[in-house]
Amino acid sequence: MKSELRSSILVSVAALTSILISVLTAYAVAETASYTLAAPESFSSIGDINKRSAALFTELGSVLTNPRCVNCHPAGDRPRQGDLSRLHQPPVYRGPDGFGLETMRCPVCHQSANFEPGRMPGRSQWHLAPLEMGWEGKTIREICMQIKDPARNGGRSLEDLIHHIGTDNLVGWAWAPGSGRQPAPGTQKEASALAEAWVNTGAVCP
Amino acid sequence: MTTLALTINGRAYGPMDVRDELTMNDFLREVVGLTGTKFGCGAAQCLSCAVIVDRPEGTSYTTPTCVVSAVNFNGKAIRTVEGHAQDGELTVLQKSFVEHFAFQCGYCTPGFLNEGQVLLERLAKRPVARAELERTIAEALDGHLCRCTGYVKYHEAVRDVILADPHRYLIWRTPRGR
Repeated sequence: MKSELRSSILVSVAALTSILISVLTAYAVAETASYTLAAPESFSSIGDINKRSAALFTELGSVLTNPRCVNCHPAGDRPRQGDLSRLHQPPVYRGPDGFGLETMRCPVCHQSANFEPGRMPGRSQWHLAPLEMGWEGKTIREICMQIKDPARNGGRSLEDLIHHIGTDNLVGWAWAPGSGRQPAPGTQKEASALAEAWVNTGAVCP
Repeated sequence: MTTLALTINGRAYGPMDVRDELTMNDFLREVVGLTGTKFGCGAAQCLSCAVIVDRPEGTSYTTPTCVVSAVNFNGKAIRTVEGHAQDGELTVLQKSFVEHFAFQCGYCTPGFLNEGQVLLERLAKRPVARAELERTIAEALDGHLCRCTGYVKYHEAVRDVILADPHRYLIWRTPRGR
């Protein structure tokens, strides 16, 4: 009887330990990046520079198509939110300057930093990308063509794009989105390195 | 802890030390004791917790308080539902809410009232054409949730205040030929 009780306790402890490990692992995954980005050097085995450039953008595309980026680069006038990219609630709209309508401006809720007690993401100058810079529903190739076009990228040169991806404060939020949101892959520095390598290899689209 | 000083309904509060993680809603309800500001969804989706923030230049806007830290209001002047009536006399908008029976349970009313008041003050400075009025009101009240579904009554209550004083809130043109 004692032996059976001991076995039962051991099984229970093992099961609880297993559950605890699963929970902690899931929590750890949620708190870290989805996956790392490949370094530009890892593409050096691709001899054809055009193919290498396209491959670099495809890797960068895993950032650009991430919900952290696409949610505020919508195809319409309403942003999306969360890892499932649901329409933003409460119902907010782009407004004339991308900062929302007069009655509900983005920075009213989205302040200069994430506010964890309210699970509210925040970074200064929180706003939508202009409509012509919408990426929602586009392929990586379409985004590539768009991002190179000054008429659809905010009048930026290729060098400006490296700067925008690598140092823009609001873009940087994608890698520090607060709890409950998966960060964009890799780091902002790694994304910047990919963008720079893509530009230096001719900015070819996949 | 961060030092907080602000003005609520014309009265100065602080400076006082508050926890960085204290929400503005908890500050109003638990620290100051102004429970007219409600806590609804806790996710800025119902706006029953909205208060008015008055900018120094004389314009105002509403903000939810449930997802914003209290320290973000340092140095600001805000109005809550308790600040509308003066000496027990309801405002024109409050009276209109009562006349239209715009609320049932009343939980969302402070948010709607603050939003409506901000709209009236905006229109007094920048009137709109009558043809734009319905859209303007709908746009202003959009986002405020009422589980008793009093939306039409709220809309009508705000609209009737405006229509009762068109020279103040609407772009007024003398009909041609007069």
